[in-house]
Amino acid sequence: MLVFDHVSKCFGDLRAVDDLSFELEAGEVFGLLGPNGAGKTTAINMAVGLLEPDEGVVRFADEAFDRNPRDAENRRSLGLAPQSIALYEQISGADNLRFFGRLHGLRGSDLEERVAACLDFADLVDVGKKVVSKYSGGMQRRLNLAVAIIHDPELVLLDEPTVGVDPQSRNAIFERVEQLRDEGKQVVYTTHYMEEAQRLCDRVAILDRGRLMALDTVPALITAHGGPGNLVVRTGDGESRHETTDPLATLAELQASQTVDHFQYLPPDLETVFLNLTGRALRD
Amino acid sequence: MNKIVAMAAKDIHILFRDKLGFFFTIFFPLMMAIFFGAMFAGLSRGPASIPIALVDADRTAGSARFVGRLEAAGGLAIERIPGDQALEQVRRGQTAVLVTLRPGFGAALDNPFVATPEVEMSVDPTQFAAAGMVRGVLLEAAGAELQAFMSDPSRMSVTNEQNRRLIEEFSPPSEARDDLLNVLDQIPRIPVLIDEAGLGSVTTGATGGFGPPLEIEQTQVQAQRRGPTNSYATSFAQAMLWTLIGGSVSFSMSIAIERSRGTLMRLLVAPITARQLLAAKGLACLGATLFTSSALITLGITVFGVTPTSYPLLALALLSGSICFCGIMMVLSVIGRTEQAAAGVGWGIALPFTMLGGGMVPLFLMPEWMQTLGNISPMKWTLIAYEGAIWRGFTLSEMLLPCAVLVAIGVLAFSIGATRLRWDTG
Ligand SMILES: Nc1ncnc2c1ncn2[C@@H]1O[C@H](COP(=O)(O)OP(=O)(O)OP(=O)(O)O)[C@@H](O)[C@H]1O
Ligand SMILES: [Mg+2]
Repeated sequence: MLVFDHVSKCFGDLRAVDDLSFELEAGEVFGLLGPNGAGKTTAINMAVGLLEPDEGVVRFADEAFDRNPRDAENRRSLGLAPQSIALYEQISGADNLRFFGRLHGLRGSDLEERVAACLDFADLVDVGKKVVSKYSGGMQRRLNLAVAIIHDPELVLLDEPTVGVDPQSRNAIFERVEQLRDEGKQVVYTTHYMEEAQRLCDRVAILDRGRLMALDTVPALITAHGGPGNLVVRTGDGESRHETTDPLATLAELQASQTVDHFQYLPPDLETVFLNLTGRALRD
Repeated sequence: MNKIVAMAAKDIHILFRDKLGFFFTIFFPLMMAIFFGAMFAGLSRGPASIPIALVDADRTAGSARFVGRLEAAGGLAIERIPGDQALEQVRRGQTAVLVTLRPGFGAALDNPFVATPEVEMSVDPTQFAAAGMVRGVLLEAAGAELQAFMSDPSRMSVTNEQNRRLIEEFSPPSEARDDLLNVLDQIPRIPVLIDEAGLGSVTTGATGGFGPPLEIEQTQVQAQRRGPTNSYATSFAQAMLWTLIGGSVSFSMSIAIERSRGTLMRLLVAPITARQLLAAKGLACLGATLFTSSALITLGITVFGVTPTSYPLLALALLSGSICFCGIMMVLSVIGRTEQAAAGVGWGIALPFTMLGGGMVPLFLMPEWMQTLGNISPMKWTLIAYEGAIWRGFTLSEMLLPCAVLVAIGVLAFSIGATRLRWDTG
């Protein structure tokens, strides 16, 4: 299980990750939500041992073991889909999968089974033999994800897996992530789209400028930091917004004095949570 | 090991998928081989001054005088060397022709009635044109020596006196002996008589009646059987060098490419060590360059009639050359961190070293100082090793020096590169 214990990482004067602590729980999709430059990728890179923390420790800890991800042997149990597509473009999708499978010690029929399963997972069975440079952006994204799981790791880290993908492919990726969770894997999912975090993640860590602002389930975060929701009503006078924690009572109050033609309740969401925590909007 | 092989196989697969890389590693060298081979096949090479090595086994005033004449004649760049290294030097291609003045050379010059001065010429079989010119210069110098002797009555009298004493000492009195002594007496008068007869302007050579002024025994340093395929033997050795350069630059770029495309990150996250990664890159480079250089020489042998003098030594040379350039590849990948930088640095470093090492203009056409400077070029040692096995007819012990130099450069460069290479993804 992945543990961050008071981890910090600096680039020169910049504290890209600042005193970050969290512990993954079994079978959850863990979200790292934050705007550009929040430190998500830096945290991921430390989780997989690409970067060494300046302070604190990153561990794969359990009752039975306590391992450093920088040891080659310990990397068997994790799979990374990097933020930018990382594939060999000159060879086919199947050959990419085959190559990384071999690096993880797979051979023979085991390897071929996994290659087939991953092509299926990424919905690339028909184009498995085509060279990757001929793939569309969305197909490359899906293959980028599939390569991360070729060796069937316990922990899958997905760094903004939906960047530059059309809504349809994005939905396909969501389904894949849910499939991974159903298979009992732990998933770390970074994003700056709050809708994604809200839909996919069991718990979300909100990062801003390297610091952990809040960490909890989505409903708990909203309850704690979301503040009131908004009731939007349309009357003969036009449209108006009303902050409220009890939309039904507010609506009844409004109807007492005027005729409401149309109303809509906007509950607080992660966007408002982020705004309330940082004073800034999630997307600039 | 399985993982290392998997990584190496992937790299080779990608190299041959990459059309530009493939061009530089195979087609470009091959085109050079055919082009230069055909060009030199049609050219008789005549450098302004022919380098020869000279061994003076006689070491008399006469032989020294003769060497002085050769030097003054021009057309030859004479390097005087001790006799024991001489043959090796020709065989390694450091000199085209070896001239040995045999013992007794000086004595024969001073006494042309009794003996003819003898020289031995050992000739590299690819250098027949040069050998012919050297022959001419030798004969000319010997002719001039003889003429000087004949036109100097005082030198002739001295010789005559010596000969008279010899005859009187060793030959019992007889009619023939008396005739011989009479003839001897007349000899110093020959130039005077020629003059008096008004023939001075006609007989300039003054060698008539004495036969050739010099006896030249010409040997080949190794069996000659190439003829017109010669020039391909040289150009294919150069092409094999070029394929090594192309391969090493391509592989140094491949590390930069892995970095820029992000696949290096995946490799670093996989359960393999940095050492395995290095081993894989080295193995891939070794395998690819061995393959391409072997393919080229195979083509040279089957299509262009190149006939290596030793296949085992050729294999040794191929292996050593590839090892050397794997090391160079490592150093290049440290210096060029991006794809463009790797290519630029690679070719930028490779080209001057290649020119210096004889990869473009054959070594023997270069000025001497440049040839000496060429010793710092791994390309020169590679060519020496390749040519040693293809047409210079090296023995195993002769082959060991260039091969040892190549392997040493390779191992050193690889370890420098491997310790300096930063496996980061940035
Ligand atoms: N190798 C590096 N050298 C210097 N600064 C870096 C380096 N990597 C990241 N940073 C800086 O650290 C901060 C955090 O970067 P990081 O990539 O972790 O953010 P992120 O949350 O992944 O952002 P994005 O959503 O844009 O991917 C940024 O300000 C970035 O400029
Ligand atoms: Mg990022």
